Amino acid sequence: MSIANSTVPVTVLTGFLGSGKTTLLNRILSENHGKRIAVIENEFGEIGVDNALVIGAEEEIFEMNNGCICCTVRGDLIRILSNLMKRRDKFDHIMIETTGMADPGPVAQTFFMDDELKEALTLDGVVTLVDAKHVSLHLEDSDEVKEQIAFADVILLNKVDLVSSAELDQLEARIHAMNAAAKIYRTRDAAIDMDKVLNLGGFDLDRALEVDPKFLEPEYPFEWSGLFDLKAGDYRLVLKPGPDPAMNLNFRSANGVSESAMRDTVEKAVLVFSDEELFLKAGSSIEPGEQLSQIDLEGDELSYVLHVPTDGAYVLFTEHHPDEFQAYLTDATGDRVEPMLTREYKPDHEHDEEVTSVGISTPGDLDLEKFQDWLRDLLANQGPDIFRMKGVLSFQGAKERYVFQGVHMLFDGRMDRPWREGERSNSLIFIGRNLDREALNAGFNACLT
Amino acid sequence: MLDLDLSHLNKASLVERWYVELNDYIIDLSWSPNQKQLAAITVEGAVFLIEDHDDEASFKQLGAHNGGGNSVSWIYDGSEFATAGHDGLIKVWDADNGSLIQELSAGDPWVSKATYSPKKGILASAAGKHLKLWNSSRQLVYESSDHASTIADIGWNPDGSGIAVAAYNGITLHVPGRQTQPRKYVWKGSSLALSWSPDSKYIASGEQDSTVHFWYVKSGEDAQMSGFPTKVLELSWDRSGRWLATGGGAVICLWDCAGKGPAGRRPWQYDAHLNKLTQLAFQTHGDRLASTDSDGFLFLWEPLKHNKIIGGVGLKAAASCLRWNREGALAVGQRDGNLVKFASNGN
Repeated sequence: MSIANSTVPVTVLTGFLGSGKTTLLNRILSENHGKRIAVIENEFGEIGVDNALVIGAEEEIFEMNNGCICCTVRGDLIRILSNLMKRRDKFDHIMIETTGMADPGPVAQTFFMDDELKEALTLDGVVTLVDAKHVSLHLEDSDEVKEQIAFADVILLNKVDLVSSAELDQLEARIHAMNAAAKIYRTRDAAIDMDKVLNLGGFDLDRALEVDPKFLEPEYPFEWSGLFDLKAGDYRLVLKPGPDPAMNLNFRSANGVSESAMRDTVEKAVLVFSDEELFLKAGSSIEPGEQLSQIDLEGDELSYVLHVPTDGAYVLFTEHHPDEFQAYLTDATGDRVEPMLTREYKPDHEHDEEVTSVGISTPGDLDLEKFQDWLRDLLANQGPDIFRMKGVLSFQGAKERYVFQGVHMLFDGRMDRPWREGERSNSLIFIGRNLDREALNAGFNACLT
Repeated sequence: MLDLDLSHLNKASLVERWYVELNDYIIDLSWSPNQKQLAAITVEGAVFLIEDHDDEASFKQLGAHNGGGNSVSWIYDGSEFATAGHDGLIKVWDADNGSLIQELSAGDPWVSKATYSPKKGILASAAGKHLKLWNSSRQLVYESSDHASTIADIGWNPDGSGIAVAAYNGITLHVPGRQTQPRKYVWKGSSLALSWSPDSKYIASGEQDSTVHFWYVKSGEDAQMSGFPTKVLELSWDRSGRWLATGGGAVICLWDCAGKGPAGRRPWQYDAHLNKLTQLAFQTHGDRLASTDSDGFLFLWEPLKHNKIIGGVGLKAAASCLRWNREGALAVGQRDGNLVKFASNGN
């Protein structure tokens, strides 16, 4: 056979008109000397590089049935890519530039629904450009912007020179809340290292997970803990009214003043936080132990007594961050006592975006049949709202990792390399609209053996 | 290696007569009406004229379409042929001296196909959503954009009075001068290839959604066949119009359209290829069927007699075009640019 049995990577560039797609495309073309790149353009920009074959295409969105699955694909891409495959020994990479208003869903689905393309091509990544100056206007009212962000593997916050760093931080946090799996870079004139946008390796979950160490961390019923080194006696927790009328807390002893000592108490505190709370009025006394207390926060200035029976290390877990109530601890003489260590936790619901990410990370082995049933039902019912999903799963009895990715109702998975020592676990992420975090977690956990 | 029944193998059934190297994926290929020439176009757009001297061949490149090529077709009297490419043009070439006679603008950069009517010199072209018909003086005589997407395929009916168009939403039949509007054979899917039965009774279409449709041309009814592993691009009728061979996977299916038609009948199956079929072609003046797969195997069948191969050859690359001539010779265009002629003899 004269045709190489390797797949050609495809990068999809999305972003609103004016976000810098053509600038990035020109950089990619001019910085990849010696590589043959084919560009499929839905929007005519000014591309002027001679190592590229540029093909104009008009978006043709088709509905397509395949078995019980009905979804939309891009007929123009099937036709053009299929033709490019006949010349594929001459191309190293294919770029698809979509129109500003394009929904990336049909583009991504095309690679799942056509066998010929599936065999010959790899969807290397979706790169979304965001105009940092103007995107906020569209984030509210444009489904396309939300979808383009939700589908991205890489997001370039472009034109950063036009906005303040505070605005950028805010924007980045907001985008991150929508798509926690994407890498976000801040750029000016779309200037970026090519290896950050090309050859991302399809879906490499390790890469997705390195984005944010807090992402996929389990979610906690508390936002903060502080470790204190205390002498026996009474201390006062002083608070001012804040955004919530009451707050749960747990006060407990720890095994020394160290990171590990505090960490050892976290699991126990999680259990306590699932218990029934004891409602306390201002001025009440709180004993260290396995009791969940709910303190009243209505009043001008409030204080509660923390009783310390013996000298030692104690940890205070609070449902909300103490800063929200200007809370502090004083000793009997009224001097402030600062914690030796503090830690913040990812709360259950940190944002109210319509488009969000739900990450699940849990040890254990999955029952193949249960998992398939669950996923089938999930995709049948919520497929339209699930933009993307990817993950690495551990199935009972399988020596290899199972890796998968999906777009809406389409799912593609395979056995990957063998698990390494101590590595076995499940991690997956859903990015979509109106996702029910608790139901997804519960559904997934029910598939564990 | 292959667990094949070779009891009917006949070495004379496929004898290589010559080959030429065109050095690029041969995307379309066609015998001249007098069977002495072949016109070929490659995926990069190069146009070749090949002279068949029976046991050897000569060829020359006549020109090219910028950006790529799609199709080639001969006029019924053999005096000219037309090519279509990605440059928005139909190019008409003189078969005697190989010169470019005329360029016609098809209406969209992507010209999927240009094909002459079988009995008159009417040329049909499909570019984007536009169908255009040109008379023998190459004047535009008919035009329609009444198609839901870029046209994937077009085909004249056997008497040349009408032309069928495959696109998204099924088949559209244009019979200029005899219709107030084109006739629609509607399917909510993307039709990729079409083929008229030689008796004009059916239009068969191969679909992106891995089905095959038999449209009863008169009634507009539709028999739908599913269960194909992949999209179906390979359709070939036998000369009688009773049998349609289909691909869409590694197994060849033969559908019996006699009497009431294929609905409710199980197809005959021919299973020898290990990989996906790339081309299927019944002889135009005989009953042999040639098939090729993506591994480069070429098999020959007498499918109306039995389900065993009568000939087999391993090609250097998968075939992209299989074209029988009237004398029973088979021209095979390949993905690597090789063009081979086989004689097919023996019984």
